[in-house]
Amino acid sequence: MRKDYKKLLVIGSGPIVIGQAAEFDFSGSQACRSLREEGYRTVLVNSNPATIQTDPDTADSVYVEPMTAESVAKIIEKEGVDGVISGMGGQTGLNISAELAEKGYLDKYGARLVGTQPEAIQRSEDRELFKEAMEEIGEPVPKSRSVSSIEEAIEAVEFIGRYPVLVRPAFTLGGTGGGVAYNEDQLREICALGLSYSRIHQVLIEESVLGWKEIEYEVMRDSKDNCIIVCNMENLDAMGIHTGESIVCAPCLTLSDRDLQMFRTASIKIIRALKIEGGCNVQYAFDPKTHDYRVIEVNPRVSRSSALASKATGYPIARVATKIAVGYTLDEIPNRITGNTFAAFEPTLDYVVMKIPRWPFDKFRTVDRHLGTQMKSTGEMMSIGRNVEEALLKGLRSLEIGVDGLDPIDMTDDEIHEEFRNATDRRIFAIGEAIRRGWDPVQVSNETHWDIYFVMKIKNIIDMENKLKGELTDKLLREAKEMGFSDESIARIRGCDHWDVLKRREDAGIVPRYKMVDTCAAEFSAVTPYYYSTYHGRSSEVKKSDKKKVVIVGGGPIRIGQGIEFDYCCVHGVMALQEEGIEAIMINNNPETVSTDYGISDRLYFEPLSLEDVLNVIKAEDADGVICQYGGQTSVNLAIDVEKGLKGTKTKILGTSPDQMDVAEDRKRFTDLMRSLGVRQPPSGTAYSYNEAMRIANEIGYPVLVRPSYVLGGRAMEIVYSDDELNTYMETAVKVSHNHPVLIDKYLSEAVEIDVDSVCDGEDVYVGGILEHIEYAGCHSGDATMVMPPYNIPQNMIDGIVEINRKVALALKINGLMNLQLAYKDGQIWMIEANPRASRTVPFISKATGVPLAKIGVKVMLGRKLKDFGLSGYRPIDHFAVKESVFPFLKLPGVDSILTPEMKSTGEVMGIDPDLHAAYLKAQLAAGTILPKEGGVYITVNDQDKPRAVAVAKSLKDMGFRIYATRGTSVYLTENGVENTRVFKNTEGKEPTALSLMRNRKIDLLINTPREHSGAIRDGHNMRRLAVELEIPYITTMNGAEMAIGAIGVERKGEMGVKSMQEYHKLEF
Amino acid sequence: MTSYLVLEDGTCYEGDSFGYDADAFGEVVFSTGMSGYQESLTDPSYRGQILTMTFPTVGNYGITDDFFQSNGIHCRALVVREYTRIPSDSYGGRTLDDFLKEYKVPGISGIDTRDLVIKIREFGTLKGAVIRDEDKIEETIEKLKRMPAPSDSDLVGEVTCPAIKKLDNGKEFTVGLLDCGMKARIADDLSEYFNVILFPYDTPSDVIMESGINGMLVSNGPGDPSHPNIIKGPVKTVSDLSTFMPIMGICLGNQITSLAFGGKTYKMKFGHRGCNQPVSFEGRVYITSQNHGFAVDEQSLDGTGLIADQFNINDHTVEGMRHKDLPIFTSQYHPEANPGPYDTKFLFNRFYNAVKEAKR
Repeated sequence: MRKDYKKLLVIGSGPIVIGQAAEFDFSGSQACRSLREEGYRTVLVNSNPATIQTDPDTADSVYVEPMTAESVAKIIEKEGVDGVISGMGGQTGLNISAELAEKGYLDKYGARLVGTQPEAIQRSEDRELFKEAMEEIGEPVPKSRSVSSIEEAIEAVEFIGRYPVLVRPAFTLGGTGGGVAYNEDQLREICALGLSYSRIHQVLIEESVLGWKEIEYEVMRDSKDNCIIVCNMENLDAMGIHTGESIVCAPCLTLSDRDLQMFRTASIKIIRALKIEGGCNVQYAFDPKTHDYRVIEVNPRVSRSSALASKATGYPIARVATKIAVGYTLDEIPNRITGNTFAAFEPTLDYVVMKIPRWPFDKFRTVDRHLGTQMKSTGEMMSIGRNVEEALLKGLRSLEIGVDGLDPIDMTDDEIHEEFRNATDRRIFAIGEAIRRGWDPVQVSNETHWDIYFVMKIKNIIDMENKLKGELTDKLLREAKEMGFSDESIARIRGCDHWDVLKRREDAGIVPRYKMVDTCAAEFSAVTPYYYSTYHGRSSEVKKSDKKKVVIVGGGPIRIGQGIEFDYCCVHGVMALQEEGIEAIMINNNPETVSTDYGISDRLYFEPLSLEDVLNVIKAEDADGVICQYGGQTSVNLAIDVEKGLKGTKTKILGTSPDQMDVAEDRKRFTDLMRSLGVRQPPSGTAYSYNEAMRIANEIGYPVLVRPSYVLGGRAMEIVYSDDELNTYMETAVKVSHNHPVLIDKYLSEAVEIDVDSVCDGEDVYVGGILEHIEYAGCHSGDATMVMPPYNIPQNMIDGIVEINRKVALALKINGLMNLQLAYKDGQIWMIEANPRASRTVPFISKATGVPLAKIGVKVMLGRKLKDFGLSGYRPIDHFAVKESVFPFLKLPGVDSILTPEMKSTGEVMGIDPDLHAAYLKAQLAAGTILPKEGGVYITVNDQDKPRAVAVAKSLKDMGFRIYATRGTSVYLTENGVENTRVFKNTEGKEPTALSLMRNRKIDLLINTPREHSGAIRDGHNMRRLAVELEIPYITTMNGAEMAIGAIGVERKGEMGVKSMQEYHKLEF
Repeated sequence: MTSYLVLEDGTCYEGDSFGYDADAFGEVVFSTGMSGYQESLTDPSYRGQILTMTFPTVGNYGITDDFFQSNGIHCRALVVREYTRIPSDSYGGRTLDDFLKEYKVPGISGIDTRDLVIKIREFGTLKGAVIRDEDKIEETIEKLKRMPAPSDSDLVGEVTCPAIKKLDNGKEFTVGLLDCGMKARIADDLSEYFNVILFPYDTPSDVIMESGINGMLVSNGPGDPSHPNIIKGPVKTVSDLSTFMPIMGICLGNQITSLAFGGKTYKMKFGHRGCNQPVSFEGRVYITSQNHGFAVDEQSLDGTGLIADQFNINDHTVEGMRHKDLPIFTSQYHPEANPGPYDTKFLFNRFYNAVKEAKR
């Protein structure tokens, strides 16, 4: 039964990082809703503004504050929290909860952890305790030893008796710093890294079960010891590849009932032994030859796997886990999906689910693409089909990596063998290619350790591919569609146009049916509208609705350049539609997100976001409208074709017309428009050949910004400073051609970049926010640190920005949201680009101002006017909000940490405070950057920054810091009366060098403003890498340095407060 | 080859035939278990039925000697969305198709099984046929309308063991297993605790008494518990033995026990078949394996001495009983699992304790 609490705090998971993505926005939001249903007063903390859970209606008090024990403790004290829910915020939530307990904050404020207790968490997470617990109940674990040094690691391998061994650091996200060591050298290297990443400086050396099957169970347990299994899952990739990096299917397909029950029984034994109340995930290795198994690990909380299991089954794990935490038992919690059963049952599926990870290797071309025990993927997609082939092919086209199915891949036979031995993200395509070349499936199975069952599924796909090359009968077309082939892939195979395939199949009546995800394989009638398409079947289950309805096209898997922000916008779109009395229909395929929580929209279609799949849903629904502006580039790219495909139907594209969107995207049309409006643009040109590129660059003058046309997240965008560099870029980064020109812009060096987000209803324009970047223009806006409102731009320029924004919005006939990127230099405002859609900064601005821009955008699309909401012009806020980005540099060795036009960050945080420097400090803390209160600062700046560096160095000196500087800077500082220690370059052969000082922990902050050509930027690579590894803050601009000094001042005073969203914003919408 | 699943209400699904090449008639039921197809196919309780698997891809891990629950396939036909032609090789790699052929059972694939399940859920269990000749569809529908329900015949008589058989496991106690079409795993589970004597379902009570057993387990089985042959056979036997020894009933054995004490059973709309049925028992929740189309009427137990003490959490049907004075208890579900979860294996231990207690 329900226990009483005065106030419950839900801890979120902070920014999106590799290993921790949108799944915790989903779980945390579900948890808050679940608690409020029970009438609890709730408080939520999360530093990530791009989340639904930080919306003011999620909890009674919502804090966007740094996720540190100290800051959370302040919230507990201020709010009078007496219960803390730790299991909804991933590893971050658990770590903070553990710290709150260890540091005595919980006792001090009379709060206790609700749900799984710290001892249980420790027993699951501490390798030794876990092993002991498993041994006590007779569950086999791999032979292993925890070690705290490299010497102990070597002894541990002697004890295990053989290489390879796995190295797993304790208490890290997504296996950071882990790896497989095949010999002592590798062991030394991996251990060194692993030890430094572990919060408790401990790694586990473990017997290898490489090549075994990896199986997962999602288990729930309540306080009465009732246990159920929500879902089991099978990794197609064998042990050795992190489950987050594997293709996974649900349920398990190649295990017998007896073996599945063996794991089920073991899972229940384990959750009982660990005394977990709520949900946990248990991972096993299973030897398909001997049927022997090992328990690999337990996650004592909701996880990415549990989000996947929730979406795969329809069972709301986070919601149920939350109810269990406050005292309910499984038989007391209703199953909302059927409405007439209870949470105390096990879902059964009548479809096959596939999860495929989405990797960032398209952005990070220099990163090692090999998959292993460390996560590199940024997101994932899920697909549902009535068989493996259908689910797999739907899944592949959901990835948005430029494939429409199991496309051919350009690899030699040797490369395929190598791919089988050491997998990368391309393995599934290599398997397809091997089968296409007639390799024996048994051999492929042996080399890849994929079960022959799955290899044969690939073979079925390739066999169909071959059949499709012949005569296309209706029967064959139907069979191909049943196997999940997209119109695009059929067109590609047959060398025809996909519109023709679409017409052909619609004429033949080959259209998808929509089946329901209902937790019970149709045994009970279900009320929750959650659907997937299949060509297997005679009936659809979608109830026809006469209400007005609008489809929102979602954003797909999370990747760099397209994060959780767009999911936030989609969810707000759904809410806005519902507020206006219109049915909201969501299409998306990302299992982590809130938009795919079936409780959010009126109907959810879990589908690929390809043109075909989106059109199918719109047609099946006979929707009145479709919104393509909210799902990021994914949906924007579809707009023109969706419009084409809907010609002659009643469905309208809502918002700015696709043609106007094209004006903004098309350089020529856009430049013409800007010229007619009198808006200044940096000189630019479009090159269709190498020679043309050279000519344009020289005309404009270096430095220039070069990029391929139509890019997402600044892919392959670079600043080049000379003919040589342009030459290299043209040869390596892009393939220029008549259809794929290269865009060349004058790079405005040392310009201040500005982001503006606004809503336009065709008559009025409301500027939601103006953000000033701390980094100079040229750093991708997705990576930049931004301050709102601008703090360095004079008022007349702000007025100018507002006016330019108004002119552009009206000229582009914006109906809904628009984002502008501008630059401020030499007293002038320059147009960089206009994006007629929801931008990445929309959620941030909404959190900073309290005005729900995305919702208002949708309402405007529906015909409401801005004046209905009392919005017009620009209204600055009276506090400061700072956006800071978080980067995957630790996880992806090989990526340079310098910020460039190419986006590299995975997520963002917000620091909000009445004081500018406090807001900046909060943003830094939230992003995990520890600005030092004392110690040493290394300064090396370019000539023009030297005067500003003096002031910075003086302030630091006054606060008691020791200053280190390289020759030029050192001399300048000394001349200007700032005492400092000279540091030598490596090439000078003298000590101390910056690297040695860093290793000896003498340097706690680096300020390095590079000279303006890319050579200088490249020189600092080693230092930046070391800074990343040692987690020393690294500042590359004087703006940043000055902010940091201010922030350090705030930190030293130690008087920073916490304030909820509700306190900042009294506005109601 | 094309074949057809025809239902008594006139519905016809077109599919592809696999397995054995023949027509088949029976009662169309569905199981929601996602694995354990071999255990289900060999479960004698499916006698007379056409089994539909809701999981859309069946046969993924092949067929193995280990998973038989009896010496053959008992359902009359198998209906699937898709069967696996080349299964995982982890269990030997024998195919489902081959298995059906060996036991002369037809299969039909390519059926929208979800559509079929919704039909059964809404209209109740339907009689149906799998046929190969398109021209005979109309004729088959008429035939189905006239066809008696399979449970009208003595299905148990078809699946019970032919003669008494002793399993000496070197244990202290010996119990009987009244075989109404038992799954092999029940005998295996009993053998962990007891020597076991298998009795054909119509073995007279005095023969059983003379065997000197210390307890009796009444097994699962197909069909209607109120069939005359069941009433005069196992129901009478349970009634006769009830004051002499501990009795445990599983599935049909549960229904038989209720009838033996004067309770009543009824036919459910479409029954429970699957591995995820939640049962509340002694304040706890257990996930159980089930396969039944009949159930015990709770009201009818008033005054019989039997108390319904286990209930289905979804539909509140009786999932188990105990006698208020006698060491008799039953479950409607399958504690022996296979397929399904092992949550309630402890019932065999309770039976052991009851036998031990009674012996003292």
